[in-house]
Amino acid sequence: MLTFLFMNASSESDEPANKEELGKLLFFDPILSATKTISCASCHKPEFAFADNAPVSVGVNNRKGTRNTPSAMNLRSHEKFFWDGRAATLQEQALAPIENPAEMNLPLDIAVGRLQNNQRYNNYFRKIFNSRPTKALLADAIAAFELTLETTDSPFDNWKYYDDSTRVSEAVRRGFEVFNGNGKCVKCHFGSDLTQNEFRNIGLFNGRQLNDSGRYGFTKNKEDIGKFKTPGLRNIAVTAPYMHNGMFKTLKEVIDFYDNPARKVPRAINRDTILVKPLGLTKREKADLESFLLSLTDKQFLKQGK
Amino acid sequence: MIIAAIALMFAAASDPNPLVGRWETKPSPKGNVTGLYMKADSSFEGFFNKKPFVTGTYTYRDSLLSFVDNGCNRTRGLYKVIFFSEGDSMRFEPISDTCTERRNGMSKTIMGRLK
Repeated sequence: MLTFLFMNASSESDEPANKEELGKLLFFDPILSATKTISCASCHKPEFAFADNAPVSVGVNNRKGTRNTPSAMNLRSHEKFFWDGRAATLQEQALAPIENPAEMNLPLDIAVGRLQNNQRYNNYFRKIFNSRPTKALLADAIAAFELTLETTDSPFDNWKYYDDSTRVSEAVRRGFEVFNGNGKCVKCHFGSDLTQNEFRNIGLFNGRQLNDSGRYGFTKNKEDIGKFKTPGLRNIAVTAPYMHNGMFKTLKEVIDFYDNPARKVPRAINRDTILVKPLGLTKREKADLESFLLSLTDKQFLKQGK
Repeated sequence: MIIAAIALMFAAASDPNPLVGRWETKPSPKGNVTGLYMKADSSFEGFFNKKPFVTGTYTYRDSLLSFVDNGCNRTRGLYKVIFFSEGDSMRFEPISDTCTERRNGMSKTIMGRLK
């Protein structure tokens, strides 16, 4: 009797109260992968601001992806998804990795079938959506969970919101000036999540070793060759490695690249005009800029000492 | 007469800037709230769902708000500020602003003073 009560209590505590909580369950459940070993969270790791700490993530049967896993946090202001922007909505994005052969490799019909045949999920969907699991509801639940992953408690946020410059160091304040000035960062990284949601060619496509044509692969528009979505910068301190292919391990490398892109990738094709000339940042400006970027880290990640 | 003119000038100079303070929009259908913190030192901060998104400097005179921020390639925007509800709400009427996105955003914005 006592055992039964405990079991009952444990299953009830797991029960989602709304679609956001259901989405969270699904996000962490490997039931949505062919081998039942990979969940969304296998690549979007909570401790790394729901990004991955590897250049490219490892999917089912140790298959590797081709692009760095972006953070799944702070997506509320985003307009297109994936590095090439091929998903118009977060719901559309949420379903794609399930079917992707290099990620979870499970046809959506089978994924939905699994949920329909799972009594627990069947009950949860019926309670929350008044429906059995469907593709659309699966996408809706995962997207709803992702939209809860907003962070607003970084030193930078608190400096600005409380109008209290003591919340950040002088280096951070100087770095913000570099970000808006000599660094030209704000020209692309403007907004509440420090992205304008545009697609830019920063000079990481040369048609040789760097052969991912980015948005062009989706639009087939020649102007899009080498363009990738400008990522947001919140929590960037914990989302290394960087760029669409994870080629830079540290923020210092990233800043050095932007300072003089041609030095790192000499024959880049169609590099954005903003980056045609070297920025010529001083050593101190680079250090200050890095300090500013670190100040975008939410307290929940500062606490874990990352 | 001279005394009256001086008194008027003094009154004008000491008029508090009606923009100074914190302002917010009502939540949009998606629940988004835009905030503005207009400071007495002629600087301002903008927030989207409490996240800082814009920073700049402004002047305000005769209902005209002139400002430069860190977006829009630092181009200047000039807007007429229309206060209503006894000064507790305001909206913006563009006079000149070459930044289309900002102009579109501000033209639709109605903000209430936070107390």
